[in-house]
Amino acid sequence: MTRLPRLRWSTALLSVLAAAWLYPVAWTLSNAIKSSADIYRAPWDVPWPPAIGNIGEAWSRGQLGVALANSTFVTAMTVAGVLVLAVSGAYSLTRLRPPFRAALLILVLAPLIIPTEVLIVPLFSMFRALGLINSLPGLALTNIVGSISFATVILTGYFRTIPQDLIDAARVDGAGRIEVLLRIVVPLARPGILAVAILVAVLTWNDFAGPLVLIQKPDAFTVQLALTRFSTLYATDQGLTFAGMAIVILPPFLLFLVFQRSFIQGLTAGVVRH
Amino acid sequence: MTAFLRRSHRERGIDLLFVAPTLALLAGFLFYPLLYGIVLSVHDTKGFDLTSFVGLDHYAHAIFGDAVFHQALLNTVLFTAAAVVLQTGLGLILAVLVADVRRGRTFWRFAFFAPFVLASVAVGAVWKFLYAPYFGVVPTVGSAFGFNTQTFAPLADAHWALWAIMAAFLWRFVGFSMVVYLAAIQALPREYYEHAHLEGAGRFQLFRRVTWPLLWPQTFVLVLLTTLGTLRIFDMVWLMTQGGPEHATETVATDIYSTAFRFLQVGYAQAMAMILLVVILVLTLVEYRLLNRRAEAVSA
Repeated sequence: MTRLPRLRWSTALLSVLAAAWLYPVAWTLSNAIKSSADIYRAPWDVPWPPAIGNIGEAWSRGQLGVALANSTFVTAMTVAGVLVLAVSGAYSLTRLRPPFRAALLILVLAPLIIPTEVLIVPLFSMFRALGLINSLPGLALTNIVGSISFATVILTGYFRTIPQDLIDAARVDGAGRIEVLLRIVVPLARPGILAVAILVAVLTWNDFAGPLVLIQKPDAFTVQLALTRFSTLYATDQGLTFAGMAIVILPPFLLFLVFQRSFIQGLTAGVVRH
Repeated sequence: MTAFLRRSHRERGIDLLFVAPTLALLAGFLFYPLLYGIVLSVHDTKGFDLTSFVGLDHYAHAIFGDAVFHQALLNTVLFTAAAVVLQTGLGLILAVLVADVRRGRTFWRFAFFAPFVLASVAVGAVWKFLYAPYFGVVPTVGSAFGFNTQTFAPLADAHWALWAIMAAFLWRFVGFSMVVYLAAIQALPREYYEHAHLEGAGRFQLFRRVTWPLLWPQTFVLVLLTTLGTLRIFDMVWLMTQGGPEHATETVATDIYSTAFRFLQVGYAQAMAMILLVVILVLTLVEYRLLNRRAEAVSA
């Protein structure tokens, strides 16, 4: 009996906080189907009929179709690149012995300590010389560099839980390294790989600074750039701005909703094991 | 024996090859730009091309003669210090609360973590609406505390702007700290609590003597990650205020961006970037030294 009041107290506090936390999200999504005049109503107060037309108009006037295709392309390339590099790099790091491993780990961790913000000027200059301004593969390249560290570290944590005897036995039986990697290591580390893929996809989709500097031509705009253009071009039509926002935030949001468990597990496992 | 050793060396050499592509990528797109950045920072530039060698002039000017850069550096360090304390602290409080309830943990975790997956462009735009004078929710709530809803515009007020951005920043990232702490709390051995409970420890005592010390490895990692992630802060500031009003929210990263891409003082911007890198290295190293020993003691 004495435990009851305490339980209610923390649930009540959590409810208030969660409502405050979810309010801006609910407000954004519901504003997407309101006319500009109704924007400042409460999130649950959606006028009838809802202004569904916003979505289609935002799509066409904001040229979101092109931007969504560009972002999907950059995200897919980044995820694929990071997975290939991080899976093979993590394999290497789990097989190596201490003096090598420490040295390599420091190199691999360098992007965490040297952020792209510090290198944005020389990178821009380099990309200009290489003709990679307005190039989507070029943008993917910077995203891969930005994500490779934590991806490798998270996967190394997962790979360490795989018994090395299993790998050695397969090697003695004549399996090549790549075969071992694809047949034993990757299947066993699937939750970690899935989590890394989702995390990298969300971060790449949401990246703003990279495209801001490297992409100038509207045909190569990612969704984030399309969205900033939105709020300057259609500042007066706020219903439209919110509709554009809803379209852009929905893909990572759905990805997170569907894979919530593995996403959070992968994230925390990688952070805690160090 | 020697044949075996040689073979095993070769084996290890091949294992090493698997990390080579990553190292090659970092060499090309991290270490090379870093070196080129050092070169840029000691030159004057026309557009993005080097013109004349100026030695450490840019550094001297940034350190001794640039009031905006000083403001940016101060803002960045203050913002980071506040982010480290508040993001970690609030995350811990939320994790303890969520671990305490019996039902619906997945829902609570979702509620606080959801903003993490939203794009900064959307977060910036939405919070600008929330802060808008007269209409916005924040001034409206603020009116209960004596602010005038029609004139209170947190993002346009030099005293409030940086902390208004901080609120949005916390809203977005606190879920990350919470999730890390929550996973750790759920993995803590129950016996510790039962033991302490039998000795008559109260709830606060349990937290102080059991939970908090055992979570030190998580605190260590979160403090480091938050420091590294916040010293570079650019996007949310740029999207909400572009560093204004009157540089009140200028951070080193926004200063670098405007100096290089708006005013085209490319060499000078890179000198500021190198100073930021030194600040990052020093602060991370200090934190590492201070916190690591305790974290290892708990892990052991």
